Amino acid sequence: MFPKRIFLVVMLLLMTVMLGGCDNTTQQPPVPLQNENPQQQAAPIEGATVTPSSVGQDTMKMTVYYATKDALNLVGEQYVVPKNTHPAQTAMELLVAGTKNPELISVIPAGTKLRNISVKDHIAYADFSDQLVKNNKGGSASEILLVASIVNTLTEFHDIKKVQIMVEGKKIDTISGHMDIGEPLSRSEKIIKK
Amino acid sequence: MLNLRRFRSIFLSLLLFMMFFVPQISMAETLDNNVPDARPAASVPILKSAISLPVAGAATTNQLNSARWLVHKDAVEGTSKLRLVIDTSDPVIVSSTLDGNGPQLVLDIKGAVVGDLDDSITLDGQIAEKVRFIKKDGNNSQAIVDLPAMIDDGDYKVFTLKSDTANKKSFRVVVDINKPVPKVVYNFTPGLRNKVIVIDPGHGGSDPGAIGPNKVQEKTVTLGVAQKVKAMLENAGAKVLMTRQTDVDVYGPNASAVDELKARTIVANNNKADVFVSIHINAFSNPTVGGTATYYYQKSNYDALLATCIQDGLVATGGLQDRGTYPAGFYVIKRTTMPSILAELGFISNPAEEKLLSTYQFQQQMAQGIVQGLDKFFSQAAKRGGGL
Repeated sequence: MFPKRIFLVVMLLLMTVMLGGCDNTTQQPPVPLQNENPQQQAAPIEGATVTPSSVGQDTMKMTVYYATKDALNLVGEQYVVPKNTHPAQTAMELLVAGTKNPELISVIPAGTKLRNISVKDHIAYADFSDQLVKNNKGGSASEILLVASIVNTLTEFHDIKKVQIMVEGKKIDTISGHMDIGEPLSRSEKIIKK
Repeated sequence: MLNLRRFRSIFLSLLLFMMFFVPQISMAETLDNNVPDARPAASVPILKSAISLPVAGAATTNQLNSARWLVHKDAVEGTSKLRLVIDTSDPVIVSSTLDGNGPQLVLDIKGAVVGDLDDSITLDGQIAEKVRFIKKDGNNSQAIVDLPAMIDDGDYKVFTLKSDTANKKSFRVVVDINKPVPKVVYNFTPGLRNKVIVIDPGHGGSDPGAIGPNKVQEKTVTLGVAQKVKAMLENAGAKVLMTRQTDVDVYGPNASAVDELKARTIVANNNKADVFVSIHINAFSNPTVGGTATYYYQKSNYDALLATCIQDGLVATGGLQDRGTYPAGFYVIKRTTMPSILAELGFISNPAEEKLLSTYQFQQQMAQGIVQGLDKFFSQAAKRGGGL
């Protein structure tokens, strides 16, 4: 038998997953991209990988970060989506699609598309179309929130520790001329509204 | 009403599913989730402990099974920390001390023996050299992290995490070591006379920067304010270098964004400037957002002081909302070698502020704020000795 405490914790977890609270749910599962399958390559420091399975619960929960109206913080919005083999891509597509919550603001510039996303050695390479730069309206506040929302949404997944933002298949050094994003970045906890 | 026994059997079968069919990527505990404050209340200042309570049913000998590490660069602040994670079969009690003779960070791990892992693991070499695992009496062990130089109590954190079967994670001891701020000491004198000050008007030439609802361009405002700052500083006897004096790209037309930013830092780095001040105007999609903010990158103990002084000056003379000062990994403040700030005077996306920022009078007020802030910085920095 399971110790009572573990029983309760798992019970709670299960209930949150099954009920999904009052989350926004997306109706249509995103279409997988060509050549896209987050290859979870085991890094020497992290141990074995697990194989996906189509059996079991048919939904998965994810957190996507959007900006507060005062442009100071990020807030995580919970989604429950149909289970698939490319959750990181799904999370990015939800970020690009934007929020329907009137209290929050979408930070991805209009027209931006996710071109590809892959994961290698715990680094996610998130590749966007050039609208990410071209349609960016400038300003440090917007650039900080944009970078942090991408990084924080992806680092919610336990096998993604860092994120390299790319545009049209190439690494970029900055989006609008303030931030230095030439290398993989890790999660920023302080910007999340507590 | 639910029949409890039935409920339990449904639950157990679901649990079995969960154990055997784990999705490829599942939700993580976030980087700092479940992190207790590692400082016990009212104890010896340099002793930290982390305790995870034992769980019934531990069968095997508890041991340190494996260790891994990564250097993390904060997405917003650009600061680095090394995270060392040690996997243990069961919960342990950890206390830590800094030993200046090493210099090293010593973790005493109670309740676990050294298992089948390397005795010594080489770390990044900059934040920490290596970690060694040492057998102690009974069921105890030690992890000693060798450091390149002694760090402060506030530069590291030790905590434990519970096991997480869904994500195949065992009990863990986590050590976070921040890359310490270099202890540079500048011998600044009070006053603006003879100071070498680099003023960087943001954007320019082919890059307009942010554009307001009434088409005012950021590059025009930043240059206008910068020219007024230059005139005031020269009146006070300072030597002023501008990264650009007109509406041009600093590196050259159609240069890459990074060459453009690098060119601005070179002006300061090659001329042994005392301080570097980058002037920008902010923007956001919500037009009601407004106010002044100043950003710094903590590469010395003077950058935050410079940011506070300039922010205070700007808020006093401009009167816009005080959004505060923030650490940020911005290229020009990160890669200049002297104390540097990037000031976002107001929001060009806010129609009222856009209008203000385009006037001679308001630009003069903002310039006054920057000059007052610089003057205050030099007098406060002059009072600081080496022991910041």
